[in-house]
Amino acid sequence: MEGRCAVETWAQFGFSGGSYKVKILCGFGTDVLICTGTEEIYVFSKRERKITTVLLLPAAVNDLVGNQDKQLIYVACRSGVYRVNLQFLLHRDQSSQADASSSPAELKISQECLVVGADEVSSLLLVGSVLLTLCQRDASWLLTLYKTPKQTASTSHKEFGSFNLPVVSAVDCGAAESNRGPRKGSVLICIHSGDVEASSPSNASAESTVAQDHFHLEPLLFKLLFGVEAALAKSPVILCGLPDGRLCFLPLRLPGSCLRVLHSLEQPVCFVGASVVTETGHAQCLVAAGEQGRVALIKTDKAGPEGGSAVAAFTEGCVPGPVWCGCMDKSCFYYSTGADLLRLDLLEGSFARESKERGEETSGMTAAALQSPSSLNVCRVIALAEPACSTAGDVQLLGVSARGQLQRICLPAGRVDEGSSKLPSTQVSRSVRDLLSAIGDVCERASVLKTVIKSKNQFLRLLNHAVSVSFLLMADTTTDLPIKEKPIRCHFETSWSRLLQKDSLSLVCFLHNSSPFVLERGWMLSITVSPLSYSSSPAGESSSTNFSFPFHDLRPGQTFEASLPIAAAGDASFPMTVSCSLIFSLSSLLGEEEVAASFAGLQSSCISLPLSTLTVDWLHALQLNSPTATHKMATVQPSSAAADSIQTFLSSRQLRCSGRTNRGGESAAKPEPEKYSASVWVSSEIVRDTLKPKKSSNLDAKESIRDPEDLCLSLLERLLSEDTEGVKMGCQGDKIALSTSVAHARGPNGAAMKLSVKEINVGEEESTDKEATIEVQIESSSLAAVCGLHHAVLRRIQTLLQSATEKAASTKNVQILGLRRALQRAEIQQSQISGAFGEVVSTVQRDRLLLSVYQELRRNPLLIV
Amino acid sequence: MYQPPSLLEKWSQENNELVNKCKQQEAGGGAVSQDHRQSSLRWCSSEFHKLLRKIQGIPPHVDHSQLELAVVYNTCVCFTAQSQFSEAELLLKEATERVLQVTGNNADTSDPLVLWRAGLKSAGNTALHPHVLYLLCLQWALWLAKCQLENIGELQEQMSSLCEIVCDGVGDGSPSEAKGRLSKSPLLVMEPKRLTELLQICTSIAQGAEKLNEGRSSEALSDLQAASALPATRALVAYTHLLSGSCLAHMNRPQMALQCYKKALETDSRCVCALYRSMLIYRQLGNTQAEIQALRLLHSTLMLPPATEPVLGGIQPLSPSLLLSSQSLSRLLSVPSALSVLYSLALKCVLSGRVTEGVEHYLDLLAALHSEDQHAVDAEVSVLPRMPELYLEAGTALLFTRRPADCMAFCNEVISTTLELVPEKVVLEEPEEGIGGDARGLSVEGEDKVAMLLWAAAAYLVQGHCHAHLKDWKQAVTHYTRCINLLVKVHLKNRDFQPQIPAADVNVKHGKDLCTLQRMKGLSLAWRGISFTQMDQLREALRDLQLSLQAFPDYTGAGLWCGEVLWRLGRKHEAAACWEKTWSLTTQTSVERYLILW
Repeated sequence: MEGRCAVETWAQFGFSGGSYKVKILCGFGTDVLICTGTEEIYVFSKRERKITTVLLLPAAVNDLVGNQDKQLIYVACRSGVYRVNLQFLLHRDQSSQADASSSPAELKISQECLVVGADEVSSLLLVGSVLLTLCQRDASWLLTLYKTPKQTASTSHKEFGSFNLPVVSAVDCGAAESNRGPRKGSVLICIHSGDVEASSPSNASAESTVAQDHFHLEPLLFKLLFGVEAALAKSPVILCGLPDGRLCFLPLRLPGSCLRVLHSLEQPVCFVGASVVTETGHAQCLVAAGEQGRVALIKTDKAGPEGGSAVAAFTEGCVPGPVWCGCMDKSCFYYSTGADLLRLDLLEGSFARESKERGEETSGMTAAALQSPSSLNVCRVIALAEPACSTAGDVQLLGVSARGQLQRICLPAGRVDEGSSKLPSTQVSRSVRDLLSAIGDVCERASVLKTVIKSKNQFLRLLNHAVSVSFLLMADTTTDLPIKEKPIRCHFETSWSRLLQKDSLSLVCFLHNSSPFVLERGWMLSITVSPLSYSSSPAGESSSTNFSFPFHDLRPGQTFEASLPIAAAGDASFPMTVSCSLIFSLSSLLGEEEVAASFAGLQSSCISLPLSTLTVDWLHALQLNSPTATHKMATVQPSSAAADSIQTFLSSRQLRCSGRTNRGGESAAKPEPEKYSASVWVSSEIVRDTLKPKKSSNLDAKESIRDPEDLCLSLLERLLSEDTEGVKMGCQGDKIALSTSVAHARGPNGAAMKLSVKEINVGEEESTDKEATIEVQIESSSLAAVCGLHHAVLRRIQTLLQSATEKAASTKNVQILGLRRALQRAEIQQSQISGAFGEVVSTVQRDRLLLSVYQELRRNPLLIV
Repeated sequence: MYQPPSLLEKWSQENNELVNKCKQQEAGGGAVSQDHRQSSLRWCSSEFHKLLRKIQGIPPHVDHSQLELAVVYNTCVCFTAQSQFSEAELLLKEATERVLQVTGNNADTSDPLVLWRAGLKSAGNTALHPHVLYLLCLQWALWLAKCQLENIGELQEQMSSLCEIVCDGVGDGSPSEAKGRLSKSPLLVMEPKRLTELLQICTSIAQGAEKLNEGRSSEALSDLQAASALPATRALVAYTHLLSGSCLAHMNRPQMALQCYKKALETDSRCVCALYRSMLIYRQLGNTQAEIQALRLLHSTLMLPPATEPVLGGIQPLSPSLLLSSQSLSRLLSVPSALSVLYSLALKCVLSGRVTEGVEHYLDLLAALHSEDQHAVDAEVSVLPRMPELYLEAGTALLFTRRPADCMAFCNEVISTTLELVPEKVVLEEPEEGIGGDARGLSVEGEDKVAMLLWAAAAYLVQGHCHAHLKDWKQAVTHYTRCINLLVKVHLKNRDFQPQIPAADVNVKHGKDLCTLQRMKGLSLAWRGISFTQMDQLREALRDLQLSLQAFPDYTGAGLWCGEVLWRLGRKHEAAACWEKTWSLTTQTSVERYLILW
């Protein structure tokens, strides 16, 4: 039966982490310094049993070393290495603390304390007057040596050497492991040869720097590992453990030496130390522990192979659990897996070895000792330091728990005999209490793990959905299904609405989910609206607008509806392109705070799946005035109508005025602002053919299509309300039954316009075969409106004809070609107009340009036969 | 294209302000640290680059070209000073192309040489010409920094005309006109005249080094001597003298070479390399006293605190070291570290009989190695012997100066370090080619066991000598015996391998080891024999001395003593034969360093 550990919580500090490198630095009298990977360093006074001071560094702290002699600490931050004179600070602190003794004083470390300007230093070490920094630069590890000044007042730290070691590709370890475990850091320690103390002339200074990262190794082992020359030169050896598992060494004072690899653990090194200390104070065993529990013991094997001399024996083994942190005392290696604190008795192994015959059994025995560390039943320890052995044989450790508590852990005497069965009742009750608290801890940890697993499952499910949906949509694009049959499709409707006496056009998007998947958290509908012609924006910046709508569980069969304002009356440039896509973003899946904490770069990463791209043209944006409605509107909403007419009047005036002033007398001869008009002529045969399939669904309408008047009407109806490419003009109040083949409307820029369809005969004068033709005429006083509408009408007729050609084959090809040409021309003209308005040119030029466009439009009556 | 007139002025004002700021920083740059200079340089180059991008945002135009080229020049100077050569080169190329556009030629080549020729031709005799020349200066500097000397050679004539024009101070046209234009023209970070001067001498130095490397010494010599008359800083002139000296040394004219080195030192007292080269020549000439003197001077110069560059009219953004980066030059200018100079000094002193002085140097060296200030920062592979050998050499030197106690202490140190690691049995294999290589590169664990054994044995041998020196024959025998016991642990793998001492010039590692081993066997046996003789144990003495002669027949001492023992044993004929044989041997062979002393 093992004795139980007593855990005494000394202090609690605000600290939420668990993913940072926590370090405890002891040896400053009664002060203990704790850095937790944040910007803060806590100074805990053992005498007062509380945190006396908090040092605030400018950036997150990576490592911390101290010079007890001079009461200096060096702190490696993200931004550089800072030097803090602790004594000075604490003295100042004590004087100021006399009045406010309850709360710890907060001391800001200013930029003045910066001594080395290298960023991202991962480890520090102080050897005598030399400060060593280890950091990763591009493709190599860089160990840099700085000379610390003799006077503490001076801040100059001269770099006088650096050593390179190329980075090898990192050891493949579970991503989840590295994410949750302690942050990958490096370890830097200093090994002195055992007999340095005896012969070193500067004994005092060497003694003072000996701290938790300095070890004295038995001379023989030292020579075996680092060479005779290092021993003869009395050089300390720097040992560094890297995240790629390598253990490298550098004899500090040997001329011409370089960083060499001693061993590789093949997993991130998280602890290096020396133990099994003899009476002379020399450690006999070098221990290196990897993050995933691989431990290497390096000892002297007095009887090497083939009866030769002594060799260094490397024993590798695996101890259970991830190693979060570790510390050593004279004979044991203590480490924490997060779930438990374990003790590895290194002395036991060596004893066992000595008692046995030498040979293969020795390594077996040591490995066996590695297999069975004894559990101390203390969980959630993430940093350990300062093992101290009391006279009674108890070992005391200082630890920091994952919950941010500084704990004093008292371990029972090393090898307790079985005599502890008869415990006094007080001790029994204490141990029961300990057990209960341990159970509580374990329980808490278990529940945390459960929630983690649950959320991971959830993530996986969502990701699976995302991938399935992606494949579904990708299959769509390859097979090219018609829009109606796509599993996830969207269509649009335009509608005018009136808000605060201002007309605005809004586009309603319907997304129908007929796929078997639920679109849930993480999915978004993104709609980009951008003008078709870009020349209108003068500065060249694209004037597209982006809308995105997150989904909340859009189940199969459901339809999602989103309405987006695309233009207020008068300030839109039509036609515009609307492209919509589904976006799946990882960041919203993971949850904001986790993303912010761990992956700063992930925020923008998402999967975007395009759904469809369509065009909203002038016909979609028309505001139709029904013959009755015009009148009604005039009475009911006089103000807006009046405003409109005033607007029209003003703009026409303005145009005239400017024209007059610029062109002088010439323009006076010009007629009043005329109505611009454009027309499209289509063979009525084609129209009849194409409109037929739609009408034929109505049983009795077959005959009425013969009537030319009816044909015109249905064409107009088709033009105004037809669902092209998934965009439909919304119903304008009550559905207007078009009584005549003339429609009055207002365009999105507010211009009144007339759209009339009538049948005429054109073929008469030019050719003998008479062709019944339907003319679609557009009239408006606004040139832009005419052009825009003309373009829209041509597009519609083109789609009509395309559906017709499927049946009526080759004869119509020529006509379509003509139509296309006309369409192109109209597009050019519109861009010219926009260009004319957009560019900063003189009004004279603008007028001339507009006139030429207009004339061209008139010159080319679009005849489609 | 219409431009508001203020733009040009604004830009040129911006350029002038930047240049002034740059110059201010450099003028005050003596005091501030290298870091600070670097950062201010970085700032300047980014600002210039920003300005340049603004200017180049519009199509090239004659009115702007002058300003544009000036800004290109400034930007490139800053880039080059930061060793961003490719960026600078790209800018230059773009600038040339734009010049061609302005002058109505089109560039359809990517070859820089052709481009430059075209650019110079098209700009010829226009107002742009001097500015294009300035840019060519920079291109020159870039080629020099990147050691593309052949490009410089290709454009030799353009370069020389450039030198004339730039150094005359004005371009074409009448002086007054030029002056008027110059006052209006945008400021430059570095005066083109100064840059050209710097480039001329640096090119001469680099070309000289290159030619010297290719063995065209006499050609290099005339060039370098011509270059030494060019206006430049002392350090650069010293380099020309130094390289002339090297050429002369290469042409087997050591005395003239020495004169050149002396001139270099007179020009620039910090030219350590000249000192080092002179030392090598003294060594070659066998002038030991002078060599020791030179070594001593060299060491004390190297121990001086690093020189702060003397400020000559403000620090220029382009330093000569940037332009003199060729490998052949740096090889010529390299100087060993202070420690290895000290070692050479110590060894030379001891070998030339100035033992007391040598001992002092040895002790200095060991103290330096043990001091806290010593750190493993020498990037170059050290020429120092390995530590135990250094100890043994120092110990032997101490014994020479009759300090056997100190010597024994050194030997004890070596023994205590190495003895534990000496294996029970060492197999010395037949010498293999290709094993050679740097012993320090070997892994420590597999550190040469043979070397370890030889060190320990040698330490015992020297200790034996110490006792012999003190006439403590019994102790001497003990130590010689220990030495022999260690030496017999070595087994030769190849049976029919001749245990004959290879020629002294064999440098294959194991061959050398074997040679040392045999020699040490001979010496230790001989000296045990001698000790036995002193103790009147003549039989043992005879056995040892004869074994010694077998192992190492060249050691005359053993032969003489063998004769002596035989004589004492009354075997006079044999003694006579032995002596005769010994005298007939030509004795002088080079022996391991710490053994020749005996």
